[in-house]
Amino acid sequence: MAPPEIEPVPAPDGYQVKLGVFEGPLDLLLFLIKKKKIEIQDIPIAVITREYLGYLGQKERINLDREAEFLLMAALLIHIKSQMLLPREQPLEPDIDPRRELVDRLVDYQRIKTLGGILREKEEEMSQVWKRTALTAPLPEADLDLIEVSLFDLAESFFALMKRKQDDGRRVVKSKEISMADKMNEITSLLRERDHLDFLAFLDAQETLEEALIAFFCLLELIKARRVVAMQEKLFHTITVWLRRDEPLSGESS
Amino acid sequence: MTDLLPILETLIFISVEPLTPAKMKEVLDDVPAEDIDRALEELVRRYEAGDGAIRIIAAAGGYVFSTKPAYDPYVRKLLQIERKRKLSSQALETLSAVAYHQPVTQSEISAIRGVDSTYALHTLFENKLIKIAGRKDAPGRPLIYRTTEKFLAHFGLNAIEDLPSEEELKKLMEEENA
Repeated sequence: MAPPEIEPVPAPDGYQVKLGVFEGPLDLLLFLIKKKKIEIQDIPIAVITREYLGYLGQKERINLDREAEFLLMAALLIHIKSQMLLPREQPLEPDIDPRRELVDRLVDYQRIKTLGGILREKEEEMSQVWKRTALTAPLPEADLDLIEVSLFDLAESFFALMKRKQDDGRRVVKSKEISMADKMNEITSLLRERDHLDFLAFLDAQETLEEALIAFFCLLELIKARRVVAMQEKLFHTITVWLRRDEPLSGESS
Repeated sequence: MTDLLPILETLIFISVEPLTPAKMKEVLDDVPAEDIDRALEELVRRYEAGDGAIRIIAAAGGYVFSTKPAYDPYVRKLLQIERKRKLSSQALETLSAVAYHQPVTQSEISAIRGVDSTYALHTLFENKLIKIAGRKDAPGRPLIYRTTEKFLAHFGLNAIEDLPSEEELKKLMEEENA
């Protein structure tokens, strides 16, 4: 039976697309070995070197990020080939086969690929399974791109907001006595009620600049005390605040 | 024996994070450990075989309630989530290498993959799928990495031993090559 056509459809910027498919030189080598139906323990090095170089040379443009690594492998292949061509007084013993190291690497790499395939299946399976945490934390499992915000992100968001407020032309007209403890209690009880809080909206809702400033300090204080966690999906996006699950219920400071 | 089932069910139900058998045994300290293990197995089996939407899965060393895959579309609609995020193939390959060779250094991983893996490892670290487990006693004292509990949870594994052994992988590879 004829082997199935595995050559991908040529794309206008073919090389980059194609190399993008291969994670690296070992990936490409494994692909060629499979394509040529070669026994991995006994690689005809001349054939595979020709195939490999042909694959690299076929296109004018290559992925510069990985170029060196692909070329390094080409050099290794040529080196092994020359080792095997050298005339020797005695035939090579199997344990000093110049291909040995490469074969070991390939087998190990193949193992990793196979394991990767299994993990991918498991990931797929798990992506359809939901735990109860899905409801308590509004962004379950999807936090792969979430960043726990740093002080600078918070400060930046805060100043951006304050700038906006100022531009609104709002002025402080009355002064109200607010303590940090009160504000903190307000934040934590809100969190307990609503599970999470859009912090920028919360700041925005504060009556005066002073109050907003206090609210901001309270947030910093709560983060520092590890009572809440603040997350920002993207820079300059809003900051969402959650209570930490282990936050003590009786932990109100007076 | 039978009245153990609802007790274990209760304990698992109120635990949002996976509850370990060790914790259950702490609560039921007057019950022989093997009875608890057996009851757990039975409880998991009953949920699995039942026609309800809920089951109990073993994840990262503990037991937790989860939905069955068939109801995924409804959950996503409720939570307004398009799709759960998946790892890139580069990240997945790097993670496999760490899982198989741990504890392992950045340069070892790069050698195994044949490509520089600094960035991929950094991403995995940021996502808490791997952690730093110390430094290797070698020149330059490089950092060594291990997979985390979050890694187990992400792939629905109970323990690292759930990953296929060398022999099982070999068999799978032969099937692939055939």
